[in-house]
Amino acid sequence: MNNNIDQQRRRLIKQSISASTLALVAASGLVMPRLLLAHWPNDAFTAETLEDAILASLGEAAEVDDTIIQFTIGSPPTYAVNGASVPVEINSSLDNIQRVVLLVEKNPYPLALMLEPTAAVSFPFKTMLKVAEDSEVIAMIRADDKLYRTSRYVEIDIGGCA
Amino acid sequence: MTVNAKDRIRAKLLEGQTVVRILLAHPMHTGRGKNEQDELVPAEFIQDIRCWRNKEEVLTIKCGTATSRNPYFAFQLNGGEMGDVIRLRWVDNLGAKGVAETKVV
Repeated sequence: MNNNIDQQRRRLIKQSISASTLALVAASGLVMPRLLLAHWPNDAFTAETLEDAILASLGEAAEVDDTIIQFTIGSPPTYAVNGASVPVEINSSLDNIQRVVLLVEKNPYPLALMLEPTAAVSFPFKTMLKVAEDSEVIAMIRADDKLYRTSRYVEIDIGGCA
Repeated sequence: MTVNAKDRIRAKLLEGQTVVRILLAHPMHTGRGKNEQDELVPAEFIQDIRCWRNKEEVLTIKCGTATSRNPYFAFQLNGGEMGDVIRLRWVDNLGAKGVAETKVV
């Protein structure tokens, strides 16, 4: 009799443990999809050097020396009065574009923007960036597992990283 | 300065291409700027923007802190017809969300 109760107790403990483990797994399972939905490459956007940011955002690939990207920054080009909104325009005739990134070399975090266009999207792409000080601004495209790179130097009157 | 909290999106058919222009209403604080009392303004910026044409997802934009206040984007979509629905959603680092939708004219 005594033995039987003991058995029952053991089973109860076992069950409660597995139940709590299951609950944990379920909870983490519920959390996971939300994390994936809000997927944002934190390491790329908080990289503090240009090389790290490029590596984290585009991965490793052979760089092709080609000026196939047309790229303008500032209005008028290469000069901007207000660094808080510097117009940027990228144009390219490349096919199979996997990813486009914009980097500002002197910003605290160089990576500014990352685009993942599908085949339905065509260029030009225009946007506005914050540029902290006179800096090289770099546009890079990863297409067919090759990297294309163009850069422009832009002069800033009022820094724009407030 | 108050931000007029309205996201704007326009899509226009031009020479067989759909030209989409987006203007979001968002302060885009980097976390480094200061307010009048010289206190740091906590980071608040859009991280992820997704665009759809009808049911098809066409573009994902991921932003860092270096995107301007009230972010502006313009791009083109191949083809398209009058009445196509262009739709976008954004999410910022604090989890705030926004949706904007327009029809191609």
